[in-house]
Amino acid sequence: MGLSFLPQLPFALSAPIMIGALLAAGLLAGEAANRYLALPRITGYALAGVALGPQLSGVLSEEVLRALSVLIDLSVGLIVFELGFRFDWRWLKRNRWLLATAVAESLFGFGAIFGALVYFGFAPALAASAAAIGTATSPAIVMLVAHELRAEGQITERTLLFTAVNSVFAYVALTLLLPLLHLRLQAGWLEAVLRPAYILGGSLLAGVAACMLMLGLARWLGKREDRQFVLLVAMVVLTVGVARSLNLSVMIALMALGMLARNFDRRHVLMPLRFGHGGQLFFVILFVLTGAGLNFGAWTTAAWLVTVLLVARFLGKALAILAFARLSGVRPGGAGLLAIALFPMSGLAVGMVRDTSELFPVFGQQLGGVLLAAVAFTELVGPLATQFALRRAGEADPEARGE
Amino acid sequence: MSEAGGVDEMEFRPSAAVSLGVELELQLLRAHDLDLSRGAADLLELLGKRKLPGAVKPEITESMVELNSSVHLQHGSLRDELVAMRDAVVNEAGVLNLRVAGGGSHPFHDWADRRIFPTGRFRAILERYGYLAKQFTVFGQHIHVGCPNGDDAVYLVHMLTRYVPHFIALSAASPFYQGEDTGFQSSRLTSISAFPLAGHMPFVRDWAEFLEYYEKMRSLGIVASMKDFYWDIRPKPEYGTVEIRVCDTPLTVQRAALLGAYAQALAAYHLQERPRAPARAVYLVNSFNRFEASRFGCRGELIEPYESRRKKIGEDILHTIETIMPHALKIGGADALTELAADVRHGYSDANWLLECRTISGSLPDVAREAATRWSGAA
Repeated sequence: MGLSFLPQLPFALSAPIMIGALLAAGLLAGEAANRYLALPRITGYALAGVALGPQLSGVLSEEVLRALSVLIDLSVGLIVFELGFRFDWRWLKRNRWLLATAVAESLFGFGAIFGALVYFGFAPALAASAAAIGTATSPAIVMLVAHELRAEGQITERTLLFTAVNSVFAYVALTLLLPLLHLRLQAGWLEAVLRPAYILGGSLLAGVAACMLMLGLARWLGKREDRQFVLLVAMVVLTVGVARSLNLSVMIALMALGMLARNFDRRHVLMPLRFGHGGQLFFVILFVLTGAGLNFGAWTTAAWLVTVLLVARFLGKALAILAFARLSGVRPGGAGLLAIALFPMSGLAVGMVRDTSELFPVFGQQLGGVLLAAVAFTELVGPLATQFALRRAGEADPEARGE
Repeated sequence: MSEAGGVDEMEFRPSAAVSLGVELELQLLRAHDLDLSRGAADLLELLGKRKLPGAVKPEITESMVELNSSVHLQHGSLRDELVAMRDAVVNEAGVLNLRVAGGGSHPFHDWADRRIFPTGRFRAILERYGYLAKQFTVFGQHIHVGCPNGDDAVYLVHMLTRYVPHFIALSAASPFYQGEDTGFQSSRLTSISAFPLAGHMPFVRDWAEFLEYYEKMRSLGIVASMKDFYWDIRPKPEYGTVEIRVCDTPLTVQRAALLGAYAQALAAYHLQERPRAPARAVYLVNSFNRFEASRFGCRGELIEPYESRRKKIGEDILHTIETIMPHALKIGGADALTELAADVRHGYSDANWLLECRTISGSLPDVAREAATRWSGAA
């Protein structure tokens, strides 16, 4: 008598099981964190990831994480696209001091980290690369906290704007710094020049092409929110895929797509964007997976250096914002809150550290761990900072907690 | 201004006859999706640093500010001041990436999203009226016409009530509400009618009788001050004016000034010629006329209360403009009335403009964007 219809034990953990379980675990942890500890849900998602990750339980092994990295890219792609789509050149044109603040925020953040690391004896080229990586604020955290709180107002808008600027700044600065490292380490300098040109130019080109295609299709589809939503998702996923296949930067390509779509849509064929509940799915997965990949190692070996980096970064950014706040029309007290809201370091840093370390193992040995530990810390504490700032600014919806 | 409301508040402070002032409630929109924003506090903070001819004030929700003109004797100076105020507001709003727009309603906002401006009075209104207070996110123009005394003010209220459908039809600019085409030229008035103290002033003969009525309402605890009456037209003793409150905020400051000129000339005609005595018949037909005007605008019909016959609202306006033109000429409002008459003849209304905008562009965010562009004076 054959029971061959029964599955073989132990049965394989298929991708749907894995993804479904990740979603459920993240959802429950987020809800619990919010209900019992009054923490942002995002922190709960990330904590679930930490618990499941290779450093603790190991349910999610390094191998699984690598296999699921496409999900991270897709989620980041959606978020970065939305961030770019909200980026409004005309605002910067009308408010030059805002432009000055955005540039200064990136430069001062970079300068402060660079200065601190050089002061503690790191080689300038390594310090500069680390500073570039560290300058970025997490698009995912600020965007999600703003969504969760249904926050709206000047501090929220400016947090998102500065995040878009410093994310691009970080990536471009790092890419341009890599040739310096190449030269220092006497690598072939043709590669040193061509590599950043390929990545930046190629990502930008991918964004431009996707944008043209999207605008053309949107014009043909007409102004229907449901159809345009599917179109947006399709273009985002497609661009993420193309960027991955061509070894380009997902972040730059999607940011370019978003920014161009918003600012070159002269005839306003695109409807305003609302990802709604669908977006939430990706965000939960993103934070669980990011949490699983967090690396706290350096907190045990170089806690002081991680602290120095975070403090210098915060002070640099705060100084720039405070200096220009009133001129750019921020109400009194708003500047400090903006600086706090921008505290979370970008999860994109993980990828940047990985890429840089692969090219230059010496960077990974000296500063990789420190950056990763800083990211890990702000991934958990950062949402709290952003949430505090937006609430304190009076921009959160008081009824949004129960949503 | 006293909130408590006693007899002092009710003392009628005379002002120059047919002097003119307007209040305009404006929409503050977010640049990225053209929905209503919450920018009022930040915008007022920025405007506080500038010297402005009139005043800009908070209103009930954080998506709204109110422009108050100063007192004018002529349409031209009112218009110039409104243009200057508009430019200041639009510029400062640009610093915050906000758009400013006229129009009686936002085309697609969701009233449940609105948050009440955190002052004592507005919180109290939310407490008392519940969701009505949030649904009240509509945008109107109030026109003040100066009166020398309370008796004249009562007389003028009775006289102007006959013209309520005119003001509704001429200002109508709220065809869309909560994302729907309502079919109305002015959907805004419907949300005001829900309030218990909406409607019109009772049929009192003079200021003394009005005070008697007011005292009774106050002693019964139904009202605490004149502010609690949401009437279409009400006397405003502290300013020494009669206040017309049925207008939607038009899409341009120019049109707001035109409406002011119309009210001013009507007031001059009635106060100086006293062509008619107050009549109850006016109030008998009032809600019918009001409905026709908000639903169909100038194409609607009104019942002429003194002659008891039906007339197209547009025709009645043209006829009225002819009658009051001599007074308009004396107070510098003739050009304004000619312009209004031309619009009526061409079937123009701000509501029709918005409807056409939707037909051309196909989406309500586009309607909001175009309205903001128009308000800024760029188109």
